[in-house]
Amino acid sequence: MNRPLAEFVDMLRYADVPVSIGEVLDAARTIDLLGYSDRNLLKSALSQVMAKTTDEMVSFDQCFDDFFTIDTDLNLGENLLEQASDIDESENSDSTDGGEDAQLAALDNLENAPSASGDGGGGGGEGSASSPSEGSGMQPSTLLEMLEQADRTGLTMSMNTAAEAIGLSNIVLSTQRGLFTRRVLDEMGLAEVNQEIGDRRRADNEEGAEELSRRLTVLFEATRDMVERQLALTSAGKSNQFRQEVLKKIRLSNIENRDFRIMRDMVRKMARRLTDMNSRVRKVKNRGHLDIRKTMRRNVAYDGLLFETHWKQKEKDRPKVLAVCDVSGSVASVARFLLLFLYSMNEVLPNVRSFAFSGTLGEITDLFESHGPEEAIPEAIEMFGGRSTNYGRAMEDFKDLVFDEIDSRTTVIFLGDGRSNGADPRADILRDIKKRAKRVIWLNPERKSVWGTGDSEMPKIAPNCTVAEVCNSLSKLELVIRDLLKTS
Amino acid sequence: MTLVDKEPTAAIEDIQKRFEGAGYICDMHIATCIYLSQKLDKPILVEGPPGVGKTELAKATAELMGADLIRLQCYEGLDESKALYEWKYGKQLLYTQILKEKLGDLLEDAQGLDASMDKLHQFGDHFFSEQFLEARPLLQAIKSEKQTVLLIDEIDKSDHEFEAYLLEILSDYQITVPEIGTIKAKTKPIVFLTSNNSREMGDALKRRCLHLYIPFPDSDRERQIIETRVPEVSENLRNQLVAFVQQLRTQDLKKLPAVSETIDWARTLLLLHADSLDTEIVRNTLNMLLKFEDDIDNMHIEIPKMVAEAKKVTR
Repeated sequence: MNRPLAEFVDMLRYADVPVSIGEVLDAARTIDLLGYSDRNLLKSALSQVMAKTTDEMVSFDQCFDDFFTIDTDLNLGENLLEQASDIDESENSDSTDGGEDAQLAALDNLENAPSASGDGGGGGGEGSASSPSEGSGMQPSTLLEMLEQADRTGLTMSMNTAAEAIGLSNIVLSTQRGLFTRRVLDEMGLAEVNQEIGDRRRADNEEGAEELSRRLTVLFEATRDMVERQLALTSAGKSNQFRQEVLKKIRLSNIENRDFRIMRDMVRKMARRLTDMNSRVRKVKNRGHLDIRKTMRRNVAYDGLLFETHWKQKEKDRPKVLAVCDVSGSVASVARFLLLFLYSMNEVLPNVRSFAFSGTLGEITDLFESHGPEEAIPEAIEMFGGRSTNYGRAMEDFKDLVFDEIDSRTTVIFLGDGRSNGADPRADILRDIKKRAKRVIWLNPERKSVWGTGDSEMPKIAPNCTVAEVCNSLSKLELVIRDLLKTS
Repeated sequence: MTLVDKEPTAAIEDIQKRFEGAGYICDMHIATCIYLSQKLDKPILVEGPPGVGKTELAKATAELMGADLIRLQCYEGLDESKALYEWKYGKQLLYTQILKEKLGDLLEDAQGLDASMDKLHQFGDHFFSEQFLEARPLLQAIKSEKQTVLLIDEIDKSDHEFEAYLLEILSDYQITVPEIGTIKAKTKPIVFLTSNNSREMGDALKRRCLHLYIPFPDSDRERQIIETRVPEVSENLRNQLVAFVQQLRTQDLKKLPAVSETIDWARTLLLLHADSLDTEIVRNTLNMLLKFEDDIDNMHIEIPKMVAEAKKVTR
């Protein structure tokens, strides 16, 4: 597999397009088939092979555009030669005026940053320099010769070869720019050119030296631009991934507002994954309509006697979830994220009812259904938050509201720190709930070592739950929920 | 009949032209996808809003290739006995009965139980054999000698299990029947899967397919489509109605009108002998485009403005 493709795939993976090895092989075959000559065709074809959802398509388009502005240099070898010779044929037309032909503009694009192509500075300089160029400029030659002959194609290719040789794609930090630019130039043979400039100066060929060093500056700028583009490429992808990793592990209370949106996507993804896994559980029920065909088929072996029956009815085991979230002052810092998680569960699970409380408890399912998370969550905090926690009161309210609905298929989830300000947490109600429900889960954002200190009622609460777990980061949250769904 | 015997770019243009000849206007993206699926032997997963011609694409392909179209409509509860194969259990029962009757004659000269068993084993085991296998769409597509186009329609309506049955066919073009063994495709069918994205497909399935997203067409392409499908409509009306529908798609509606609705609407206007849009006629025929009462009500006030706009665009 060729190197640009491998790098492109890396970039896609950073950008959240999960490309499997099979798809990479397909992509390689696609490139073999189509070649690099038609950019739009290749983009359309590769997007079909590698991006498999509409979200991924968006990322893919972005990546492709970012990546192949560089990659065209690497791969359009023959094509660039043709273009270069075209320019030669057109009488080395000095492109200082606005009437640059498109190919020239394209070439400028390759060498200089896209923004620089318009101002004609680099382009003009290069254009005037192209007068001495001869047909022999196509041969691989030294940097000096290429500069002398203003062989753009050669320079571009040599620049890319050098970039590959020194491993430019490893650049991560912006402070490495200077270093990498220097290395690329060194690799291309900077020393020889500097030597030549020095020689010319000594030989009083001041004009020649000036011209050469001016061209060298143009090359230097082009190289720096290339390095910067590469930096933007790799670091954008990597830092995004890095940030997600960090967010997963960071304490919920430490996550800042600006990360709220990213969090939201992550939580949604996680909730969907969990429900997908869970909704696959199916049970065959031994009642309802007899599936005659299947029964017959199974019983041919018994001479057609209906010995082993098969029933049509299947039941999808859809979990029924009642989730209660503490939004009081003591958990204020995490309440938003707990609610966010609740919200996402509401979106992906069909049977979730959500409740929030600090003093009194109330249902927020309708609120979640009618508003987006940005409005619904602050609203829920506004409605029920701010008062001092009273777990006993909340328990009573909860019992009044939904106790009758709790059955052996119901999962009850409490999200809270169990700090009741001295009030009786009414663990007896919790015990009754546990008896009726399939399971009761208590997720506490506090560390286990502080459970039971101060006004924490966890020692009373924990025995009356199926599970009581610490849950202070997103990955913990996922782990806990997944375990629970598995052991259904 | 092959579509891809030329150089890539030429072949893709050729595909576009030939689809146009078959009454299906496809852009470069779709043509590329058809080309790739032929070259890489891969199924195509077609996604997009309802009514943009996902199913039509498969039909047009079948027509062009001169292949049989085998269509499998998915629904919740579709299982292998309806999609893959089924045993002809009635005949199997008869077979055992015949066997029972004939058994005496066959084992006549055998002495003792062992000898009888040996004798029995000498006969072929026909009970589970291809003769008793009732081919359902997927198996039909695999067994067909002729080139076929297999259309698995609305795959998102099916269950997770069904996706798993499909995997073997999609990647290797074969079906394993536990009692018999693996049946390989004689001619590889061209497979289209369509999805309205009512549920996310599994990664395993997506990985095996090329992904083609067909969006609503832009106005040029939509005009072209109307021209091909309803050629009787005058150019003036065609431009106006396409401009109107394109505006409608920018509105906040429950269900946006798709290409199929535009075609229906064009036919309706033709029946009414309209040769240009006016507010009255649009109001009366709006139910061809919008399928929700709410949408129709909401658009009612906007219509004069949008009609004027549509007329302006075409002038």
